[in-house]
Amino acid sequence: MTLIEDEPITLATPAPVAAGGRRRRLRSRMPPWWFVAPALVVYGLVVLYPSISGMVYAFTDWSGLGGKSFNGLANFRQLAHDDAARGSVRNTVLLTVTILFVQNGVGLLLALGVHALIKSRALLRVIFFAPAVVSPVMVAFLWKYIYDPAPDAGLNGILGAVGLGSWRQDWLGDPSIALWSVAFMVIWQYAGYSMVIFLAGLEGVPPELQEAAKIDGAGTFRRFRYVTWPLLAPALTVNLMLSTIGGLKIFDQVYAATNGGPGYATETLSTIIFKQAFVYGKLGYSTAIALVLALFVAAVSLVQLYYLRRREVTA
Amino acid sequence: MARTPSATDPSRPSEPTRPDGTDQLLLGRRGFLRAAGGLAALAAFPSALSACSSSSGGGGGTPTLRLIGVADEQKPVDLLTKAYKKAKFTTSYAPTDQVTTSLRVQLGAGNAPDIHVVYPGNGNAMAMVQVAEAGLLADLSDQEWTSRIPDGFKPAFQLKGKTYIYSAGSSVIGAIYNKKVFADAGVQQPPATWSELLDVCEKIKKAGKVPIALGAQTPWVTQLITYALVPSTVYAKDPTFDDQLAAGKTSFAKSGWRDAFTMYLELQKRGYFNDNPNGTTYEQQTSMVATGQAGMAIQVSAVLPAFRDAATNAADLSMFVFPGSDTAADVWIPAGIVVGLGVSAHSKNLDAAKEFIAYLGQQENINAWAKAVAAVPLKQDANSVIDPALDPFLPLMKANKAVPFMDQRWPNAEVQPTHFAVVQELLGGKTTVDQALAKLDEVYRKKS
Repeated sequence: MTLIEDEPITLATPAPVAAGGRRRRLRSRMPPWWFVAPALVVYGLVVLYPSISGMVYAFTDWSGLGGKSFNGLANFRQLAHDDAARGSVRNTVLLTVTILFVQNGVGLLLALGVHALIKSRALLRVIFFAPAVVSPVMVAFLWKYIYDPAPDAGLNGILGAVGLGSWRQDWLGDPSIALWSVAFMVIWQYAGYSMVIFLAGLEGVPPELQEAAKIDGAGTFRRFRYVTWPLLAPALTVNLMLSTIGGLKIFDQVYAATNGGPGYATETLSTIIFKQAFVYGKLGYSTAIALVLALFVAAVSLVQLYYLRRREVTA
Repeated sequence: MARTPSATDPSRPSEPTRPDGTDQLLLGRRGFLRAAGGLAALAAFPSALSACSSSSGGGGGTPTLRLIGVADEQKPVDLLTKAYKKAKFTTSYAPTDQVTTSLRVQLGAGNAPDIHVVYPGNGNAMAMVQVAEAGLLADLSDQEWTSRIPDGFKPAFQLKGKTYIYSAGSSVIGAIYNKKVFADAGVQQPPATWSELLDVCEKIKKAGKVPIALGAQTPWVTQLITYALVPSTVYAKDPTFDDQLAAGKTSFAKSGWRDAFTMYLELQKRGYFNDNPNGTTYEQQTSMVATGQAGMAIQVSAVLPAFRDAATNAADLSMFVFPGSDTAADVWIPAGIVVGLGVSAHSKNLDAAKEFIAYLGQQENINAWAKAVAAVPLKQDANSVIDPALDPFLPLMKANKAVPFMDQRWPNAEVQPTHFAVVQELLGGKTTVDQALAKLDEVYRKKS
């Protein structure tokens, strides 16, 4: 073993350095900009180029096959008068709002539950999070079995077995409830995901603040309301952003479970985009809807981010 | 103050550290080799995934043709590609919607397979007219078998006088029924008129079975009852209806389509469908008839082999003409060209691909394909075998009381999915017959 004597530390007053010198030193410590070049090239080729070239198709009448010609804003004018697209906007907004509130509400409750000092909390965390790692398409197929309309199958079978036979439904086949069945399926899958993010936020709440509030006489609810909740703001920001964007873009689960049906009951903006492009052969119009959706998601996300960031506090 | 150089296991060489003391991840030779091995394994992964496709065919030196078909075509294509020795094949199959999506992307990107599925006529995104108009299908008009296409079927095969699709024959839409269920309900013979059909359904219902299994959650199944009825309610009265509709001289709302939708809903109101048809799939529908839980299903004859495969006793299953009129003489049937194959106009193996299509056009291969999908061969000879279940349909075909599947003459790919959607809405009570017909007319008028 080698022993090394520490050098005596000398505290010398630093000589005044010009601002330009500091900037130069700072710049010399930073890695060269071209270190990001490989990632930028891949990002450009895989994301930017297809996205920007895709925007061009929004102003054409391209069917996806053969030639195309520019048609100005015709696709956007058609969108304004498209009943199916309007219905899909309504469904998308309903799904997004439902998922936003219920998924995050359930996620928060689960997080608070598994954050408590209970014996099985590690196991419960895994169980609640597990659906989030399963492919959305697989989840949709699984729930199609659960939602089997036969009286002795799946969810209906369970309801019958516990004496709630009158609650049996055609979960995915009844246009009045199909959208809510899809929403429940999505919430079941991603509530655990929201839980994990809230849990990360809860782990960051200093216990001494909780103790201080307790000593000051605050009960469980007031401690949550005035200590935990404000400090969960960053986790809430992330969760609300993710569930809003995910809800507005929702496709896989809807397409696999109902294909937008029955009728148009579960059609969302993304399923309409897909159908216009690949079922109806109207890729130009489909791209126009996709462009509007992208701008809408960006606008909603930016507004949401602005307001949520303003309420964030640090411990 | 003193410190040791490494607190870790002294037998292992110490990991390089950053100036700030944290571990630094440098890629040593061993790590590089591991990473390279991992990348090689990843590169091999797609070929492992290609297990869903298969190769078959002759020996070395022959071209390899890439063929993508729908699941319905797998049986005849596998049979005939194995027998063909002038080319090797890489084939893959998937359900219609998946194939349509992937093929349109490949066609648009210029890397389409040499041979691929094409639907006859017009009316969907992979229909002959849609793809041929884009200049993406090779002209097959110079092949011998095309001279045997009956005049009535030419619109399904040809665009502007040129043939772009190979198909082995036609299938019909009718009722696939379980003879044992009928016999147990006291039904002696299949119904010949609409009133008789209602009587049969009533008897089956009283016997505790579902008269008609309907898997309307699977979109394409929704259309089959309408398709089975409109030949009698529309075309028997006006065989030129498609031309009139295209010319704007009539509409869905003013035609016998209204009667067809009304009759469809009458079956539902009388309780002749299974509960919750919108939540029931094609597979469940198949199982219900095949296992005797239901009396019949209105289906295309091409799926008869699938019903037999699922049946407890395949001999229990047969077909009858689904009567759309109260006068037996006015009952017409839908008979459409079965899904076929086309050759990509930009194929690098164009000649080899067209030669394979010419091989499929030989009479014995038309017979083999038609037999595999329970179709009526395009042309028949002494060796043609027609499934006995189709016998009730043949006299109507010979009497010109058969009309092509309706979508094959619709002007754009949006009408058919709209038909699926409005039928689901009708079954779900979310729209009226008037609204459904108005929607069809609106979409039809979009033209393209």
